[in-house]
Amino acid sequence: MKLVGIVGSNADISYNRHLLNFIKRHYSDLFELDVVEIKDIPMFNQDDDQTNSYPIQQLNQKILAADGVIIATPEHNHTIPASLKSVLEWLSFKIHPLEEKPVMIVGASYYDQGSSRAQLHLRQILDAPGVNAIVMPGNEFLLGKVKQAFDAQNNLKDQNTVDFLQTVLEKFISFVRLVNRLETPVEESLPEEDLHASQPIATTIEGVDMAADDWVEQAAEKVNAVEGDTYVKLNRGILTVDQINTFLSSMPMELTYADENNQFLYYNYTMEAEDMLADRVPGQVGNPLVLCHPESALKNVGWVIKQLRSGRQDVVRVHVPTHGPDKFVVHNYQAMHDAEGNYRGINEYILDFKPIVDWYLKQTGLKLDGDIDAASGASQKEEETVDAGSGASVKS
Amino acid sequence: MKHLIGLVGTNSSQSTNRKLLQFIQNHFTEEATVELMEIKDFPVFNKPSDSTLPPVVQEAADRIEQADGVIISTPEYDHAIPASLINALNWLSYDVYPFVDKPVMITGASYGTLGSSRAQAQLRQILDSPELKARIMPSSEFLLSHSLQAFDEENRLKDASQIDKLTGLFADFLVFVDLVNQLVQAHDSNVKAAENFSWETI
Repeated sequence: MKLVGIVGSNADISYNRHLLNFIKRHYSDLFELDVVEIKDIPMFNQDDDQTNSYPIQQLNQKILAADGVIIATPEHNHTIPASLKSVLEWLSFKIHPLEEKPVMIVGASYYDQGSSRAQLHLRQILDAPGVNAIVMPGNEFLLGKVKQAFDAQNNLKDQNTVDFLQTVLEKFISFVRLVNRLETPVEESLPEEDLHASQPIATTIEGVDMAADDWVEQAAEKVNAVEGDTYVKLNRGILTVDQINTFLSSMPMELTYADENNQFLYYNYTMEAEDMLADRVPGQVGNPLVLCHPESALKNVGWVIKQLRSGRQDVVRVHVPTHGPDKFVVHNYQAMHDAEGNYRGINEYILDFKPIVDWYLKQTGLKLDGDIDAASGASQKEEETVDAGSGASVKS
Repeated sequence: MKHLIGLVGTNSSQSTNRKLLQFIQNHFTEEATVELMEIKDFPVFNKPSDSTLPPVVQEAADRIEQADGVIISTPEYDHAIPASLINALNWLSYDVYPFVDKPVMITGASYGTLGSSRAQAQLRQILDSPELKARIMPSSEFLLSHSLQAFDEENRLKDASQIDKLTGLFADFLVFVDLVNQLVQAHDSNVKAAENFSWETI
């Protein structure tokens, strides 16, 4: 489990920083804690939107990627520090990374109270509609008299406190799991996809090793596949196999065919792997899908096929941002169906959308609204609508 | 005539709380002088180790010190007062104590229906902290909801009943200022408590 720990103070010396670093070190078997600082984040001012500045975006990305957040707050003037409040205002103005995020509050202070009042204010703030975090109820951790609380190695001295903190953190882990389960859309249990392609279908060419590099040659021999200038009757027309190849090779996209047994049967081979948007090699054809993807991707592959096979989605599109800002490469997984409507596999077509958009803009003379970059563009408008009337975005 | 500070509780250039204070300033010229104070030039508070204050803070502290009372008008961001107002109050209780026993009235304006009610409740608690220790006018609340529609073209409040309410509260506040000036018994210990408060170690 990955958590982010926000040091709620911009001070050079902060016992709340000590506390989070202690939690990171001492409870590393429970979770991975990324302790983040807020001192580079400017004072919130709605006249000067700095949402897209590096420090705010960095914090935004970390929170979005985390399973949960721990905020450690000191208490200034019976409330949270201005610097922490400012961060929460940025994170509820145009972006809302804390929305539905499990949050735990801890606090350290020099006095007996241990930031009790600041913690209550923080709960109210996190509950505001623009922030909308899910704060763990109860389980307050108030560290009073901090000056005496840490030893020379910045470890908490009191064993009872260490034990108590452990139980609170364990409860938070359960809380994170619970909340994340609440937020996961209920998925009716669809049967798991067999990515090993071990359930032959009527068209499966049996008796040939699917993993063989020359599967195409072996399988072709087995079924006496036609080639060259043999005519094939299609819906609707007649082409030779060569003409079909010419036609498919000219498609301005990378085409891949996987059948409903999850076997990779075809791609329009026009260039070598290193020149492709998604690399394929001739020897891969015939493989079950389990051999076409790294282990870490198999869960997602299975999910995509479930959507397509079940009909929940007709097409799943994934933008792959690793090609740099000059391309907008999208992997499109299109469900294929026969004339009777039966699922017959996936047509995966991969292409760069950017030239299409550029051509459209050039032809129409239209311009994209605002400084839209690939990462944030489309969601901006929606967020502004969501934002109306909530939290920090309400003009005073 | 009494002299009051009207503290604009936001760094935003577009603020109906500023408008509200300007209305108070113009409407009660016969009862008191109201001087508006802005917080947008306060730097980010970070507990500087040398206790010299930025000039803008020192000047604000002096002006509050000299005033008979302060009206703070706050918007509400995320159920609380804005970071910029917290920031100003942090500075104004850092080795200076202009708010100790200073009569304070709280007002607030918001675009929505609730008129900054939660921010005002938090602001009361904040002003009650030992290092601020203001004397907040009790049992009084001025919430200006739907504040974008609340003013006419001359920046006057449109709703006569709101003006009546504000007039009553303002008169009460001037009496409250006199009352607070008689509450002197605890002043010395309040000042001491504020001074003893240590920022270095929190």
